[in-house]
Amino acid sequence: MTRTALPVVGSRLDGGLPFEVTSHKSGGRDVWSPPLETDPEDPEAAVRRALDEVLDPEIPISLVDLGLIYGVDFEDGRATIRLTYTATACPCMEFIREDITDRLSQERWIREVVLEEVWDPPWTQERISDAGRRKLRTLGVSA
Amino acid sequence: MTAAPIQASELDQAPRDALRRLVLTLADSKRLMGIRYSDWLLGAPSIETGIAASAMTQDEWGHARLLYSMLKEFGVDPGAVEHERATSEYASVDALDRELPDWAALVAAMFIVDGALTVALDSFARGRYESARSRVPKMISEEEFHGSLAEAWYRRLAASSEEARGLLRNATMEMLPSTLAWLGAADAPARSLVEAGIMEAGPVLLETFTQRVGPLLAEAGVDVGSVAPSEEWDADRGRGPGHPDEESAARARGDANRQLLVD
Repeated sequence: MTRTALPVVGSRLDGGLPFEVTSHKSGGRDVWSPPLETDPEDPEAAVRRALDEVLDPEIPISLVDLGLIYGVDFEDGRATIRLTYTATACPCMEFIREDITDRLSQERWIREVVLEEVWDPPWTQERISDAGRRKLRTLGVSA
Repeated sequence: MTAAPIQASELDQAPRDALRRLVLTLADSKRLMGIRYSDWLLGAPSIETGIAASAMTQDEWGHARLLYSMLKEFGVDPGAVEHERATSEYASVDALDRELPDWAALVAAMFIVDGALTVALDSFARGRYESARSRVPKMISEEEFHGSLAEAWYRRLAASSEEARGLLRNATMEMLPSTLAWLGAADAPARSLVEAGIMEAGPVLLETFTQRVGPLLAEAGVDVGSVAPSEEWDADRGRGPGHPDEESAARARGDANRQLLVD
């Protein structure tokens, strides 16, 4: 698979490493689906499905189930993701931004990934989905 | 305060400049508060209190980063403000200017200074400034456990040995005047923020603060109502005339890691 570096707004990719070199394996990369072979009929839904494969770097449930994704827009090849973090000084911010960007960058129909950091409403455990709670319980984590 | 949100760019020059001063003093204070917590990661009275100090350090620096990023709305590069300013330009509250001498002083700073910052942030979040309304509530939610721990630790020290009570009382009396002056500021910039609906007036903030800390300070033998605010004031920076010591400013700027800074 050939991957092309995409313009990223509000993020930073790989600390200067060549794009094909991944410096870590976070975000559930080993379970990501291969890119779609054709353009999706509903790209916004396809972006959401792709995001649902991106796992939190610390606990293996998706960013969607963790309630960190506040919105998705898709227009003219540009995917805009509004996301928050569990804490203002979340140590995994860079990983999360990189994981989202890398997952979406696999898709040829996405030209640009824009990450918008939002803090309103503040994230709380209430935002974890029921599916996320079930997964956490299987891991022995209460939420 | 009025509910309609407002952007920095919509403000007249005077409240806009005052808002920039407020954001910078909050951001710098959060950064220095984090440094003061970090001073005790390995020297706290127990592993648990050290770990709590570590968590609070993390929070404070997260808050500082969010506050510094608001400066973009004033045409200011947050990176330059964070990493390239002269020590004399720091606008953090006076009580955090230098390393605190003992654990009792940290507990006092946690209760009084971090508490005053939270009172100010709470007012800021309820004002008209859009970025404060959208970002500050998360900070306040993270401050909840700081407040709980501060109260518990302050009460514990206030009820322990006479030596501990003395250290706590000395630190409290050292920090209160400048903190009261900062929170209760009623100079022209502070008044313009009140008129713009961005912050409550200094006396209102002081009343909130007094209700928050007064009863427990009384347990340590301090009558907050009898403490006079400091009179020395630098209106440009919205704090007293001093500044953090060089070592603290170097840590705040990240001087030792300058070659390793990333976006």
